Amino acid sequence: MNRNYIYLTILLLALAGGLFVLPERNNEQGTGPEELMWDIVQPTRYATTDQVARMIIEKDPTIELIDVRPTEEYESFTLPGAVNIPLDSIIIEHYQDYLGVDGMNAVFFSNDDIKADQAWVIARRMGYDNIYVMKGGLNHWVETMIRPVKPDETAPEAEFEKYNLRKGACLYFSGAKPDANAGVQKSGVVVKRKKKAAVAEGGC
Amino acid sequence: MGPLIPQGIITGEWDFVIALLLGIAFGFILEASGFSSSRNIAGVFYGYNFVVLRVFLTAVLVAMIGLLYFDYMGWIEMDLVYVLPTYLSSMVLGSVIMGLGFVLGGFCPGTSYTAIAIGKIDAMVFTGGLFLGIFLFSEAFPWISDFYYSDNLGSVTISEVLGISNELFTFIMVVMGLVAFWGTWLIEKKVRKTIKHYKFE
Amino acid sequence: MNTEEKPAGRPKYINPYFGGVLLGLLLLLTMYITGRGLGASGAVKSAVVTTVDNISPMHAEHNVYYHKFISDNHSPMFNWLVFESLGIFLGGLLSGALYGRLKKLRIEYSPKISGKTRLWAAGIGGILFGIGSQFGRGCSSGAALSGTASFSFGGFLVMMLLFGTGYVLAYFFKKLWI
Repeated sequence: MNRNYIYLTILLLALAGGLFVLPERNNEQGTGPEELMWDIVQPTRYATTDQVARMIIEKDPTIELIDVRPTEEYESFTLPGAVNIPLDSIIIEHYQDYLGVDGMNAVFFSNDDIKADQAWVIARRMGYDNIYVMKGGLNHWVETMIRPVKPDETAPEAEFEKYNLRKGACLYFSGAKPDANAGVQKSGVVVKRKKKAAVAEGGC
Repeated sequence: MGPLIPQGIITGEWDFVIALLLGIAFGFILEASGFSSSRNIAGVFYGYNFVVLRVFLTAVLVAMIGLLYFDYMGWIEMDLVYVLPTYLSSMVLGSVIMGLGFVLGGFCPGTSYTAIAIGKIDAMVFTGGLFLGIFLFSEAFPWISDFYYSDNLGSVTISEVLGISNELFTFIMVVMGLVAFWGTWLIEKKVRKTIKHYKFE
Repeated sequence: MNTEEKPAGRPKYINPYFGGVLLGLLLLLTMYITGRGLGASGAVKSAVVTTVDNISPMHAEHNVYYHKFISDNHSPMFNWLVFESLGIFLGGLLSGALYGRLKKLRIEYSPKISGKTRLWAAGIGGILFGIGSQFGRGCSSGAALSGTASFSFGGFLVMMLLFGTGYVLAYFFKKLWI
């Protein structure tokens, strides 16, 4: 009986002492390569220009547009309400407030996909969630929103809805009176939000 | 990886099922260790039965060591583990009141539930008292809320206050715990000899 | 321990260190799953809030403390700690039945006092514990056990002071127990 307790005493001491002799180990705070790869191949990380346009028109408070182009380009033209975080300064402390906001969806965009994609990967690696890339960038934006192409007569109804939205957006963004309800898409924007822990308050 | 629910790995719908299962395990361990008897529990204050100290301290040590190893292995995100906030003066008063209640009642809330389960009337009265106590506190709350929220230190950890690492603190606790285990074993043997009218297992 | 329990043999309890290791592992599992520890007195608090809210909703609405725990969506009884406490009761029932401690209603008290004295002490102890657990942000399981295990300074403080006060005052209540 007593001898067993002596063994247990030694075991407990060894376990506690083991905490000191463990070699240094850096638990990566960000996302590991494997997880990152899976995240990158997910199509849901893209937001289409239509989705972005609709959210701007509807003044969706959860969207945070982030222009990752250099400041000069940002100053000459950008999307309404966008903030400028140049790609080379995305890890600066000052800008972190824009990214880690609960319930906000940050959408990166640049002229095309490339810079926005790079910004996305960096932000993902830093551990941020709810970040997206605007597919096609501003080039695609101009193609779809500023110069929308009317679909064929035989095209499915969804195409027409999209066209109507784009036409509305065109008017909206070029300063005309907004006609927001004209052809707003029914399908919702894919918004991925982390569930909050629903554990009861008030300990014990 | 962990903790699973705050990270959304287990969704909210399972919350209550998990709560029930964890509770059952908790209740089983408490009852099986002898916490459904108030005289067993109170023995810790008089030296005739140190079961509370043994179970309680062993549990704390195992959980602390386990948590540190889990953290080391990267299995649990320590930032997401809830750290009870410290309200200094309110907590000091609360603990003193609880200490008095402990010696008088012989139960604490968790153990009284298990004692009710096996049919102890004194545990039912104790739980009734708990209900009344919390009711009185809530009714008086408007007058004591300033005190209740005073000296808020936030979610500070032991290492932040004492200035030693969690590992060192755990090691000190283990050493102190082992001394207490062996010491109380000797005390218990002595005290039990002096009590004639009380039969021990 | 109690005279009633003698005929059926001494109560068989598991080894306290074994119980402690099990409890520690359970606590670790709970933290791993829920990110916080175990608790007990929160369930009684929910019961108090529910009762007051049903008897006098206006009163509950006006008191800041009740109001904190009332939500429009669901009853305060629909709460993690309530389900967990229900589990504690069921677990106790299970263990009591398994080890043959599940018996008729009885009071356990020292031969030096009457059953009535024991009930008074238990009731007052309960009231004090109820008040203290609100000031202390949790009782011996929520604050002392889970708090200390998650390295909270407040939890450690509650643990030391709770047992410390017990030892200081134990002398005056010796008759209640031995």
